Amino acid sequence: MQKVATILCAMSLSLAAQWPNRPPPGIPRTASGKVEISAPPPRAADGKPDLSGVWQVQNGNALFYVTGSLRPDEIRPWAAAIYKQREDEYRKDTDGIACLPPGPKAGIGVGNTPMKIVQTPNLVLILYEYQTIFRQIFTDGRGLPEDPNPTWMGYSVGRWDGDTLVVTTAGYNDRTTLDLAGHPHTEALRMTERYHRRDAGHLDLEVTFDDPKAYTRAWTLPAKFDLIPDGDLIEYICENERDKPHLVGKSGEEFRVPVEVLARYTGTYESPAVAPGVVVSLEGNRLAIDSGTGKVPLIAHAENSFTMEGTGVEFVKDVKGAVIGMTQHWTESDRYFPRRK
Amino acid sequence: MSTKFFAAALLAVPLTAQWINYKTPGIPRNPDGKPNLSAPAPRTAEGKPDLSGIWRGPRTSVYTQNIAADLKPNEIQPRAQAVYQEHVRNLGADSPRAHCLPDPPPYYHLAGLARIVQTPALTLIVNEGVSNSGVTRTIFTDGRGLPEEMNPTWLGYSVGHWEGETLVVTTAGFNDKTWLDFSGHPHSEALRITERFHRRDFGHLDFEMTLDDSKTFTRPITVKANKTLAADMELMETICENNDQIVSHLSGGNGFRLSREALGRYAGTYEVAPGHEAAITMDGESLVLRLSPSGDIQTLAPQSETIFVGRGNGTEVLTGDQVEFLKNSSGAVTGLALHARNGEQKAARKDTARNVR
Repeated sequence: MQKVATILCAMSLSLAAQWPNRPPPGIPRTASGKVEISAPPPRAADGKPDLSGVWQVQNGNALFYVTGSLRPDEIRPWAAAIYKQREDEYRKDTDGIACLPPGPKAGIGVGNTPMKIVQTPNLVLILYEYQTIFRQIFTDGRGLPEDPNPTWMGYSVGRWDGDTLVVTTAGYNDRTTLDLAGHPHTEALRMTERYHRRDAGHLDLEVTFDDPKAYTRAWTLPAKFDLIPDGDLIEYICENERDKPHLVGKSGEEFRVPVEVLARYTGTYESPAVAPGVVVSLEGNRLAIDSGTGKVPLIAHAENSFTMEGTGVEFVKDVKGAVIGMTQHWTESDRYFPRRK
Repeated sequence: MSTKFFAAALLAVPLTAQWINYKTPGIPRNPDGKPNLSAPAPRTAEGKPDLSGIWRGPRTSVYTQNIAADLKPNEIQPRAQAVYQEHVRNLGADSPRAHCLPDPPPYYHLAGLARIVQTPALTLIVNEGVSNSGVTRTIFTDGRGLPEEMNPTWLGYSVGHWEGETLVVTTAGFNDKTWLDFSGHPHSEALRITERFHRRDFGHLDFEMTLDDSKTFTRPITVKANKTLAADMELMETICENNDQIVSHLSGGNGFRLSREALGRYAGTYEVAPGHEAAITMDGESLVLRLSPSGDIQTLAPQSETIFVGRGNGTEVLTGDQVEFLKNSSGAVTGLALHARNGEQKAARKDTARNVR
């Protein structure tokens, strides 16, 4: 249980942006000052939609794990092996734990933190609250360099496809992960992002990961963002790798729960956020959980206690031993999901 | 020896930006294609000067090494002076840079490249940095004032307004963890910085910053840095890695201390060659070396009765270089030897110092 608690700290969700309230200009408001989030998107002087603003990813926790739509055989064996090793070691050697930049996962709101887009005619800057990292997206017509030096955040160029900003990024080094779960990528990774400001208050993003050396096919993840009209980013300076010493990795074999016990936990659990419910299924001799964005393995620590990408999950039984619900131990608070009858 | 070399690596100056050769759009050019840096400064749609562009600081400045270079000893508050002396003795082992944390605020203006992105309601400064790219400042120019209460942060909270053609930026809300220079002058949370940006013409930005922290210094310090447009240039990514590995090589010095009386015997002027001098002054429990005409400045921490190790990168001396004082048989200081990586130099003493801190 201690390990579970410490990994939660390492990946703790930052508080939402908390700078002093100050209405930024350019956001449509009603006479009473309320933001009209469904008004048409504001436009820049050149007529393009203006993506500028502070944006918070919705359901960012689901993006802790990005390979949910891939079949196991679509992950190359070496990549699957590295992933398994990181899982066993509580991801103690992954980028964020060592205060290193997030690489491609910045775009999908890594750590559930907001981003700030500043759009100018030839350059779009994205400032991420996570580690105070930034990206420059050149929209002055240049193409990608032919042989870029590998960098943590890659080299990004953008162009408009109608009202959608299409950003292509290459030139990554291979030292970051695609998600907080620890899926690897190679220097061959190419990421395509399509940003579309649906209305004043909503930004739709589609991220396509294409890395044939690690995955047999490209795949696309949707991410939706809400405008934080009167907020701003707070400073996030990563100090002294404080979390790393607490991540000891797994000392021995994974705790084994007999398959017949695991089978008792399978089923659907009610959730206000996921319409069809959270589904727990048996995959081989392990449980998997799907919160609406793909299956994530559950690692056992005790007969009824598991870890879901760093978050503790406990199954709750009644006095007769029947499974009646599931508690997830999030940093902010515990969440209880009753089992659907 | 290894300590010194690692310290030097830590403070190494990065290669200049080396991204693909791409001509920056929107720059006025001469017929030969070279940027015309003396063309008029561009203006935004609202008629303000547009500061946007990549700017290079003057690179060398005594203030990167010693922000208090112009102050009299009694203009540094005693508590700040004690913290400073501890930093000098530790040879930078506890500096923010050694831990991949933000560099001194003046440093970003004095050295390296920074991109300014000016929009109507906010201006961003994206610093290439030497050890950490994650030093991006947001300056609000939408008319707001500084918040009354601020959570202390590494970069503070910045608001700007225009005074004629000059953007004036006020920053407060700093934590007290950054240093103001690489020698180790500290500051308090009361620090307030005022920066003035004036784009004289297309290629030149006149800049000055005033640091006001009465808990550290009895008077404000103003630093000027004239910046030049870095045309057809791009920022490079600089990510600070493996700080734990570097820090383990920083010994933190041997803790050797000399009395003020002993230090005072070394203060004076030494002649390296005709017209080339080394001036040694006292600064609390350390010494300061100034070379002329190069202007190099180093803080010297004693490692033994006669050997000092310096911190500060210039053209002649680098961090980790040693200064050894030479005595005659009766114990009088007759000269010094500069054991620098750029070469060995000896200097004979000219006179004794009157400038004793």
